[in-house]
Order: sequence, then C-alpha cells, then structure tokens
Amino acid sequence: MNLSEEQLENVRMIRDSVSSFAPREDLKRIREVRYQLPGFSREIWREMADNGWLGLALPESDGGSGLGAPEYCAVQEALGAALVPEPYTAGVLAARLLKGSYLTQQLSGEKLLLVAWQETATTLDGDTGETRIEGGRVSGRKFFVPMAAGADGYLVTTPEGMILVGSDAEGLTMETVPTQDGGHFGTLTLNEVPGEQIPLNVDALRDAIDEAALASAAYLLGVAERAFEITLDYLGTRKQFDKVIGSFQALQHRAVDLKLQLALTRASLEHAAAVWESGTTLQQRRVAVSQAKVRASETASLVTRDAIQLHGAIGYTDEYDVGLYLRKAMTVANLYGSAAIHRRRYADIAPSFSEA
Amino acid sequence: MTNYQLPDFNAVEDESFRQLVRDFLTEHFPEDLREVPKRLHWHEVKDWYMTLSRHGWLAPGWPREFGGMGLSASKQLIYTEEFENYGVARTPDHGIMLLGPLLIQYGSPEQQEYFLPRILEGKDIWCQGYSEPNSGSDLASIRTEAVLDGDEWIINGQKIWTTLATDANWIFMLVRTDKSVKKQEGISFLLVPMDSPGVTVRPILNLDLHDELCEVFFDDVRVPKSNLVGEMNAGWAMAKALLGFERIFLGSPKQSANALTRMKHLAEYMGVVDDPIFVDNFTRLRLDLEDHKLLFETFAERLRRGESLGADVSMLKVHQTELFKRITDYMLDIAGENAGLLAPIESNRNLNPSGLFMQARPATIYGGSSEIQRNILAKMVLGLPG
Repeated sequence: MNLSEEQLENVRMIRDSVSSFAPREDLKRIREVRYQLPGFSREIWREMADNGWLGLALPESDGGSGLGAPEYCAVQEALGAALVPEPYTAGVLAARLLKGSYLTQQLSGEKLLLVAWQETATTLDGDTGETRIEGGRVSGRKFFVPMAAGADGYLVTTPEGMILVGSDAEGLTMETVPTQDGGHFGTLTLNEVPGEQIPLNVDALRDAIDEAALASAAYLLGVAERAFEITLDYLGTRKQFDKVIGSFQALQHRAVDLKLQLALTRASLEHAAAVWESGTTLQQRRVAVSQAKVRASETASLVTRDAIQLHGAIGYTDEYDVGLYLRKAMTVANLYGSAAIHRRRYADIAPSFSEA
Repeated sequence: MTNYQLPDFNAVEDESFRQLVRDFLTEHFPEDLREVPKRLHWHEVKDWYMTLSRHGWLAPGWPREFGGMGLSASKQLIYTEEFENYGVARTPDHGIMLLGPLLIQYGSPEQQEYFLPRILEGKDIWCQGYSEPNSGSDLASIRTEAVLDGDEWIINGQKIWTTLATDANWIFMLVRTDKSVKKQEGISFLLVPMDSPGVTVRPILNLDLHDELCEVFFDDVRVPKSNLVGEMNAGWAMAKALLGFERIFLGSPKQSANALTRMKHLAEYMGVVDDPIFVDNFTRLRLDLEDHKLLFETFAERLRRGESLGADVSMLKVHQTELFKRITDYMLDIAGENAGLLAPIESNRNLNPSGLFMQARPATIYGGSSEIQRNILAKMVLGLPG
C-alpha cells in the first residue's frame, strides 16, 4: 500500500511547514508553559487553526481540507518532535463529532471544545458509563480530558447521546491533575449541568477515538525520533577515556536496537495511515491502528528511557532536554489505548494468523 | 548461450509473473521436497536442479546472454518469495548465487565461457571457501596462502564452515597472496578443483546433528595460474562489491512466519492456545512479525522503484533472525517435557519444537553475526565512529 506522488509531496511540505512553525531545537516555549494552567497557548492554537491543521483530514464539505491520514500523521509527527503541548489530537477528535457553527468555530480556533468521553482509565470505549442525561441536564464524572483547563466547553458523552456544556456552566466542577509532560488532565464532576444535547453516532465516536490513537502513534514517533536524534548527537560528541563514547560497542549496539524499533514503527505507522485512508473495512482499519499504536507506544517508551541511560547523569537533569521527551512519552503512550489494550484488541479482532 | 527460449519476464506485470512462478512450481516441484527442514545434499536435490536447468530457470539474476533469466531486482524478489512460499528446497546454489555473478562481473572471457555453462548444466557444483578457524567475523584476517610457483599457485591452509563441501567438485576461495600490506589488500580470489591432490574434506556434525558444514584442508595444492579471478590482491574488494540487494533475502519474513505457524500447531497440541498468557505472548511475536513484514516491504518497494539498498538493509537480517530465535525459544517454553525430544512429537513434522529451536540457532551467526551487523549499522547508518 503506497502513497501517491501527490500525497508524498503533501507529506513533505507539511513536515517542512510544521517544523518551521515548531522548531524542535528550541524548546524554550515548551518550558515556559509547562506546569502552569492552561499549559498551552490559545494564540498558538489559533495559528495552528489558521494553518488549516485542525480540519486537515476533515472532508471539504465540513470545512476541512479533505487531505488524508498520511498528511494528518505528518503534522502529528512534526509536532511530537517539538513536544508541542497544544491539545491537537483532542481538538481534532472533538471536530470529528461537531457540526454546524460549533464545527466552524472549532476549526477556526475561535472556540476550543474537548470531548469528555472517559470514565475509567485504559479504555477505548466512550459510549457506556454512568454519566446520564435527565431532563436536559447531565450528571456524572469524566476523567482524563487532556488540557481541559484551556477549553471553552466539553462534549460529554453518555448513553443518551452527547451534551455540550460550557466550561463555566452551573453545576460543573473541573479539577486538574498535572501530568509529567507539564500539561494536565481535567476531571469533570457534573451535577445536573445544563447544556445543548447533540445526537451521538456511536460508530463516529469509536472511529474518532481510533483516529486519535493513530494520531498519537504518529506524535509518539516524532517524540521518539527526536529523542534518538539528541542521543545520537550526544554519543558522537561526549568523550570519556579519551574517546567519543559513541565508539564503544556496548553503546553502539543499544543505539542500533533503538534505530531498528524506530524503523519498525515508521513502517507500521505508514501502513496504518494508508489503510485508514483507503476506506477498507472497519475491522481492517482497527487492526492496523492497534498494530501501529502498540509499536509506537512501546518504541517511544523504550527510546526515551534508553535516551536517559545513554546520556548518563546529564540525562537525569531537568535542564537537559532529553528528559522532556521521556515525560512526554510517559504521558502520551497510554492515551487512546495503551500498548496492552491495543494488543488485546488486535488479538481479538485480527484475522487468524496465516503466513501469507 | 542467450536464453532464447524464455520470454522477457521483466516486461510481464508483477502479479502475472507471480502467477507464472507459482504455476511453474506446482507443475514441476516434487511434493516430497516441500518444506524440508534441512539443507539437502546434491543426490537428494539433483533432479530438481536439472529441472530448473532444462527450463532455463536456474539463474534468475544472471543476464540472459549468460543463460540466466535476466530478472530485475524486483522480479527476483517475486521469484524468491514464491519459491519460499511454496517451500522449495534450496539447491547447492553457491555457483549460481555467488560465483556466477562474480565471474560475470570480474572473470575473464575464457573463465566465463568455461565455468558458467557448466554451472547451468549441473556439471560443476561449487562450494565457498571464505571462513577459516581463526577468521570468522574478522574474515579479512584469513591466512590460507597461495604462492605463485611458475605457472601454478601452491595453496596451503584450512577453510571451515564450508557448506556442502562434500557435494562440491569445485571451491572458490579467498586466499592470502600478500602478507606485507593491509589485510584487506593482500587477498585474492581463486578457483580450485576439489579433486586436486592435497585437498581433504571433513564434515562437521552440527547441533542439529546434520553434516552440511565441513572443514577443507589444503596441503600443497597446485592449480594453474589462470584460476585466479580478477586482479591479484583484488579478491576482498570483488567479494565485497557483490554484496548487493540480495542481502534483503536474509531478512525475508518467511522463516519467522513459518515458525509462528508451527507455534500455533504446538499450542493447539499442548492445549494452551486459548490461555491468556499464551495469547499475549503469541500476539507480541505476531506483531513483531507483522511489523517486520511491513518494514521488509518498504525495502522491497525501494527495489521496485529501481533504487539500490544501503547498509540499513542489515536491520532486516538482525530483526528477522532474532525474531525467529525468540519464536522458537517460546516454543520450548510451551512444549513442556516435549522440549527435550530428539525428534518431532509423534513423528509429526509440524510438531517439532526442539528441531526448529536448533535450526534457529545459527541464523544470528551466519551471513554476518547479529553483533557484526550491529557494528556495521552503527557505523554506516548511524554514523558513529569506529
């Protein structure tokens, strides 16, 4: 399954433009916004929207650019390499479920709505749970809403459908839990909160969560690639015993093993993006997404952890950038399904193994 | 000797060509030789070799003017994939895979005219004399020596790990012809008849209790001066230059895919196929294989686009062979007491955990050990200093 020349060109252009927007060599802004609320910049968010990235993969009829998963993944990868904290994956997930003026405002960056779909950790299931709508008001609790403090409102999923509640709605309490990467999760406690009910297409929600899993895999590949690049650079300059430490076989072999996992991840991700794009069956799409997410989560974890070890003590300092990549991997690896969940789903739904 | 009988396969669509190869194998390949777990001896596989020869299908990579099929890299990939998928047994193919291409590129017209047809006709079976007892991973340190004496070379020394030397009537070998220069620059490439006085072959029994590997001793062996291929002391460079896209085949997912199928048979037999721990471990291995296939495919795609492959293709060999070993390691874990059996369980070839385990051991050693491959990758791909 190969991309067309046009898509390859798109991907190249996107990579370049995202990289110049978010330079991976300069993480000053990333450090400035971390461990504060909202943990990202709405101005930057607006710029990302102006660049058309929010609607990149949405159909033109919905105000998007009608590009595909490979292009969307290219943006994600470049953002991951620069540790961009804006809730891009979550914002696109919401856009997938919005219509009309809400969608228009979301895509323009004027408003930021986030989906509150999780009631437990480690789930891919957003349409069950105990949050309920009664008489037009919603009650219950929702967890793990990324960067919730910067949102204007939340799309709360329930078995009765979705309900859009403003961040300042009466009866809503939002508590933030800081995350390793400098961001936070929002925990929503909803007590008869009024809002606008929006019908929920369960398949659309599941699909959007899968797309977010694919997007996270791409982001994680960017994180891992850049952490590896920094590490390789260090191995090539740091001297001990009068030699560059990258000349030592023990370190060379570890570096090669990381490179190998990165190559597998890229192959897996490109395949999943192509399958997602080609309109094959839902099952094939899910199999491919789970396959890629397992690999990307494990690779990002492995590479960022080994990056610390290969650096030695300097890697354990907060001032050195490579630690930021470890923290990001810790936060993102398990979003939209951990490696374990996706492996289990893969085992459940992949066609029985055959050699061909 | 152009292969006039054959169509121009490169002009055929990939899928049609694939079908053509399948049809050829279905029609001609002997059923009882499919999926044999061992490297076959010449007497066991001679008929098949001659069948390939008669149809002009023996040398997929040789140009047509030398009697080959003249396949492009991507068509050769299909040819090999279909042979693997059908479980075709390997022939003693060193003449076809290694010596032929080298003679075509560096041999004299006389050498080409004499040796190439004899390979295609099955008259000469070649073995490869590279490794020595003290020159394994450090191959360039070989000490088997050839000294010019008038019109003859006199060879003394020893080769080892020579595959199927007992079946071969010729050996192509790397020999030391200059001890005064950098080790890579004093090596030459010689052709030696195995029935020369002074050549002794001793088979070595391997852990799989098979005797395909041999030692070959050279004691004042004399061959004509004209048996040198290319320039004197250019042997190392020639041998290295021929490490081409064929390296992709060492990373083919087939071995691991086959092993994983057998793991499933074994798990069913042992009654653990639905055990959640087995399922998780199996799925991990399967995902490693599925991603390997995708990575392999990206290299194959580069060949299809006419690009040459870089040193990074070694990643495929490292990952595939280590995966093959991990699969067979886990087969022993689930096999219980059967892990220690000397033969397949209940004589069923599909239930052979210990046999497969043994077959997987050398994969990370031959063709450049995993450690050597990692050294190469570190330097050539990651740019780390030597």
